[in-house]
Amino acid sequence: MTLLGAVWAWLTNSVHWQGSDGIPTRIAEHLWISGVSVFIALVVALPLGLLIGHTNRGALVTVSIMNVGRALPSLAFLAFALPASFALNLGLGFWPTVIALVPLAIPLMLVNTYAAIRGVDPDLVEAARGMGMRELEVLGKVEVPVALPLIIAGIRNAAVTVVATATLGALVAGGGLGRYIVDGLARQDYARLLAGAILVALLSITTEVAFAVIERLVVSPGLRLDRERLALPDAGGAR
Amino acid sequence: MTRSDELLGRAKGGATVEFRQVSKHYARSANGQPIAAVRDLSLVVQPGEICVLVGPSGCGKTTSLKMVNRLIEPTSGQILIDGVDVMTVDPVALRRRIGYVIQQVGLFPHRTIAENIATVPELVGWPKAKIRARVDELIALVGLDPASYRDRYPSQLSGGERQRIGVARAMAIEPPLMLMDEPFGAVDPIVRERLQNEFLDLQRRLGLTVLFVTHDIDEAIKLGTRVAVFEQGGTIAQYSPPAELLMRPATDYVARFVGSDRALKRLAVMRLADLRLSPVSSAGEGPVFSAETNVRDALAALLLAPRAAGTVVDSSGVPIGVVTMETIASAVQPVAASLE
Ligand SMILES: Nc1ncnc2c1ncn2[C@@H]1O[C@H](COP(=O)(O)OP(=O)(O)O)[C@@H](O)[C@H]1O
Ligand SMILES: [Mg+2]
Repeated sequence: MTLLGAVWAWLTNSVHWQGSDGIPTRIAEHLWISGVSVFIALVVALPLGLLIGHTNRGALVTVSIMNVGRALPSLAFLAFALPASFALNLGLGFWPTVIALVPLAIPLMLVNTYAAIRGVDPDLVEAARGMGMRELEVLGKVEVPVALPLIIAGIRNAAVTVVATATLGALVAGGGLGRYIVDGLARQDYARLLAGAILVALLSITTEVAFAVIERLVVSPGLRLDRERLALPDAGGAR
Repeated sequence: MTRSDELLGRAKGGATVEFRQVSKHYARSANGQPIAAVRDLSLVVQPGEICVLVGPSGCGKTTSLKMVNRLIEPTSGQILIDGVDVMTVDPVALRRRIGYVIQQVGLFPHRTIAENIATVPELVGWPKAKIRARVDELIALVGLDPASYRDRYPSQLSGGERQRIGVARAMAIEPPLMLMDEPFGAVDPIVRERLQNEFLDLQRRLGLTVLFVTHDIDEAIKLGTRVAVFEQGGTIAQYSPPAELLMRPATDYVARFVGSDRALKRLAVMRLADLRLSPVSSAGEGPVFSAETNVRDALAALLLAPRAAGTVVDSSGVPIGVVTMETIASAVQPVAASLE
């Protein structure tokens, strides 16, 4: 109770809402690190996932590599990222964190995108091709829009993981909300530590919600209706 | 530029389709031996005809159909549309000029009904206003109300409505040729019957050439101008008009496939007007039939009539003859009739 009270006091202390170590700055840093990482991962994973999903070529190799990547802990990535960053003369903090987060996000997006495209009803693809769509049109006008809910789910999954893991950046002198946790631990300032953890959790949840909103905006209502119709008997039977 | 400009390029009427010794082999991975899905298929479909490919599952009907729009490429032989070998035409341009309907319909769930129907017009770059007008025209053409259907999604439609929209979508740019692979297979018999009738009506009005795949011999007999009965292994056992198929099955296989009730089926494809009716007698009583009544229905009514005779009248109600059990029997027993 006293610790929670201390956390509350820490969070509501106006001093902690100002300056380079203030909550708004740390949130901005956190989002910037996460955003850059997700963006780079997206640029790599999305086209690759769409390509192997559409052609089904090189899928086994790619997915196997991705699964190995997924098995590695994020801390290991950070350990690799540090010397890599030094070698590239990118310094401490921001870039080592990004270099560690990108390979964390890529498998989540790529495997999901691949699976989403593969999961599109083959009859739709055949109808599209039979009506005279070129391969890129089949992908862009049919496969991607139909697979979109799952593709977005993969991106959301990756983004939430990145936001949570970006905390580690503080270990390599990066900014972001991880600072509160690392510094709190170092200074045995548990109110600061816990406040940092709570803020990270809130930011993760916000990310989750943001993607739900995005999905609602970009996914065709026709697919939502489809899913609701399919979900109906299930909801009754399962519970 | 491309051959497709001349191929299927004209505005109205159906195309001619010719299969010339077409074969398709699929490589069998198990023993490396190629298996023939279609073997040495030759047939001609005249403009405005419905050619039905019928046969048990796995006998190569779908493969034959998909070779026309090059979703599958033949191992040997040629397919000509209006005299042009499809293999010389850009497949994308070819497919945009050929209507294609599959059993699962394949309506795009993320697109509204209007957007689904507009697919090919959009691909070929029609102006928006023209597309909009055409979409409404087509929804009405397949018997639905444009205002209440155009903005719905496929998941908001019944099975029968989806099939209708599938047909409308395939007809969007008035293709001179339609390929239909069991298009009415997934709906219940009552809806299927209605869709078949409406489709026949539409096809006759537009004069489309249709290649129609089904495994249902009754559907083949009902819809086909000519019916190609496929045998296992991808060969044609018989290619004839339905009446011919029922009257003179070429082989035991065809006879078995059309069924032991083929005499009754034959009656269903004949109208009273096709029979050699007896002259109208003064006592011409019994039930009155229109000359367009199919013979099977007339027979059913005669079986219940007290004197087993009925009067046939033309469209203005004038009696043109009398139909009896004997009249009908002699129509299905042509040999016996000619001996009399
Ligand atoms: N892509 C394919 N690879 C190998 N065999 C196939 C392929 N497609 C069809 N076949 C085989 O070719 C034969 C004919 O198939 P299909 O044309 O689909 O028959 P139908 O439409 O009459 O049911 C079947 O034996 C089927 O197993
Ligand atoms: Mg088939």
